Amino acid sequence: MNSSIQLELFVNRVMEELEKKLSESPREPMIDHSSTETVHASDPDVVTVKVPQPKWKEGLTELIESTPARIGVWRTGTRPLTKEMLKFRCDHAAAIDSIYGEVNANLLDRLGLFAVETRYGNTENYLKRPDMGRIVTEAGVATLRQACKPKPQVQIVVSDGLSANAIDSNLSDVYPSLLDSVDAYGLTAGTPFFVKGGRVAVMDHIGELLEPEVLVLLIGERPGLVSSKSMSAYMCYRPRNGTVESDRTVISNIHPGGTPPVEAGAYIGTLVLKMLERKASGIHLDV
Amino acid sequence: MDPSWITSTGIDIGTSTTKMIVSRLKLARTSSALSLPRYEIAERQLLYASAIYNTPLKGDDEIDAVRLWDIVSDEFGKAGISKGDLKTGAVIITGETATKANAGKIVHLLADRSGDFVVATAGADLEALLAGKGAGADRRSNGTKGAVANIDIGGGTANAAIFQRGKPIGTVTFRVGGRLIRIDGNGTILQVSSSLRPWLEASGYRLEEGMSITYVDLKKICQSLCRTMLDYMSGIAIPSKDETVRALLLGKPLLEVPRLEECMVSGGIGRLMNERAPLTLSETAIHNDIGPLLAHALKEALANYPFRWVKADETVRATVIGAGTQSMIISGATVHLDPKLLPLRNLPVLKLEITQNLLDHPVNLEDFFAETMRSGANLYDTEASPPFALALSGMPILGYSSLQLISEYIVLSFSRYFPECGVIAVICESDFAQALGQALQRRIGPRKKVICIDQVRVEHGDYIDMGEPISGIMIPVVVKTLAFQSRVEVTGSFEPDDEGTR
Repeated sequence: MNSSIQLELFVNRVMEELEKKLSESPREPMIDHSSTETVHASDPDVVTVKVPQPKWKEGLTELIESTPARIGVWRTGTRPLTKEMLKFRCDHAAAIDSIYGEVNANLLDRLGLFAVETRYGNTENYLKRPDMGRIVTEAGVATLRQACKPKPQVQIVVSDGLSANAIDSNLSDVYPSLLDSVDAYGLTAGTPFFVKGGRVAVMDHIGELLEPEVLVLLIGERPGLVSSKSMSAYMCYRPRNGTVESDRTVISNIHPGGTPPVEAGAYIGTLVLKMLERKASGIHLDV
Repeated sequence: MDPSWITSTGIDIGTSTTKMIVSRLKLARTSSALSLPRYEIAERQLLYASAIYNTPLKGDDEIDAVRLWDIVSDEFGKAGISKGDLKTGAVIITGETATKANAGKIVHLLADRSGDFVVATAGADLEALLAGKGAGADRRSNGTKGAVANIDIGGGTANAAIFQRGKPIGTVTFRVGGRLIRIDGNGTILQVSSSLRPWLEASGYRLEEGMSITYVDLKKICQSLCRTMLDYMSGIAIPSKDETVRALLLGKPLLEVPRLEECMVSGGIGRLMNERAPLTLSETAIHNDIGPLLAHALKEALANYPFRWVKADETVRATVIGAGTQSMIISGATVHLDPKLLPLRNLPVLKLEITQNLLDHPVNLEDFFAETMRSGANLYDTEASPPFALALSGMPILGYSSLQLISEYIVLSFSRYFPECGVIAVICESDFAQALGQALQRRIGPRKKVICIDQVRVEHGDYIDMGEPISGIMIPVVVKTLAFQSRVEVTGSFEPDDEGTR
């Protein structure tokens, strides 16, 4: 008991000293905790070399530019700098937040997407029972039967999957671009909607219900430490129960630092057209 | 998709020699199956290199078209390829030959006869770049910290290209060449090119036709010539302070002379550097010029500078190999166009830089496009389809609404200044051509056509050629780069209030 009080006192003193030091050097603001945005939105074009007096600055810059991984972040003694450690923790927290987050309802309204749910129940269960994220609830099934145009040529579905953040960040760029592309190719899209708590293979259940020629599922990817906003587009020609993974085509890593969202939207339309022309998807579609 | 190979040619018509090569280029997908498709030239193989011919001339200022075509068609025959086999390539006319009366006509004729997408090029800067790539200076610079220069020295000019970490950072041309002074085996001066006279005067040398010169004196001139050039390349001599440097530079100097780590020499002089040094006037004058002596004076001089001299991968064939293997690039694979409109040749580039500031102020953005189209209408034929290629750079990532805004203003301003045009061509630096293309098409209507390609970097004043799609999706593109130096002046930032004063 006694020793733990001592430790607390010690930590407090260290923090006080640190704060004093930080206030002496106001040139570098601490990470703004109010928004994870400041951490992620650091302009990818501007590379700051954190290594003091690098032997070869241009070479180091080139290496840092070549990867989004945390390289060349410098150290103090054998440990990372507090700022880097906090940034790492912050990115990790953002990843967790996007799993537990919810898609902005206004965004769905604005894009005219109504929502149904899978049998995921809650996020804890969603993580433990992927199978339950592959089936739409009975209420959802009834809604889809009533609201959706059956046997559409192209069915577009949006789901939060493992990152609500991904949908919030990219849907307003990818979705209209995809609609334009579908339209430009003279294809017709069915009634679009949002599935809460969806897994990729929810495509099969929806396929059984609505019998689309091609289904496009825009879904949040498993968040990583580089981006928690990455979205995938899974596409399948006539998805039905028993469809295997290799029948699906995917464009992944859709976010401003990866596959460019608007271009992805336009290209998904091209892939849909090819699937309709060749009546195939996944490994059976040569692109 | 399996990699596909295409056949390419390069033809170099230089001051003293003409040569051609046939190569094949491997086009392969470089992006993963989960990404947007992207194709690049993954491999370049030299299939055939012709003999080196003297450039056929008719009199002093005309190229002999008939004999030139005989040489080229004969070599195509030896290489075993016909016109239909060639998918791409470049004919380049270099050095003083480019100043001959019929040079432009010849090079276009040759390009047309050689294949559908064989392009005609000229220009000292492009020549320097192609030679530098053919000599391997760009690849070499990937392995060095400092910059690597290649100086391609032929009969009439020396074209230097400087690369840093694989990227070209500057080109410069000197009036240095093996045939600028012609002599016979006894030391009688047969001819002194007018191109060299300013430098000779500035350096205090008097050379006249008919004069006799000793081996020692001629060697001194060659050494002095090399010193002037290398003093400039190493940053020792500055043109504004040194008359001899000014007299030796052809065209503009480099904006900034970078610190060179290595230097290589290609061209005819590069080859002669690898041969035995001439010890007498008669050994020097084997081609009735100073070439061999200049080469060895250069080799000796290079030892006195802080950069390393390294052997070029190719010497006399550097430019032609560069032309045959390095002139083509592949556009991004997600594009918007009608293949029937291709190929397109010699489209001038009008460049626009889109900034966040412009996107935040749509009124300025609208003015910006209108002003650009207006200047385009003054410069180019408003009835050509397309009259020019609009190049967009600046924003690596655009949102859907920004893209719509941009396409709206492009269509508005284009329709206003080019009402008769049936085709609009847009080149994006970043990957959004398909999305922008479909947005443009929606607005411009079905009667007009849109060509929109991306991931091609062009500059204001460049010319661009686009070939027919290879395997349906790869658009071959040749960018005919003009001077590096002129770029800064013409791509300056946009100032809306500037209109009246221009």
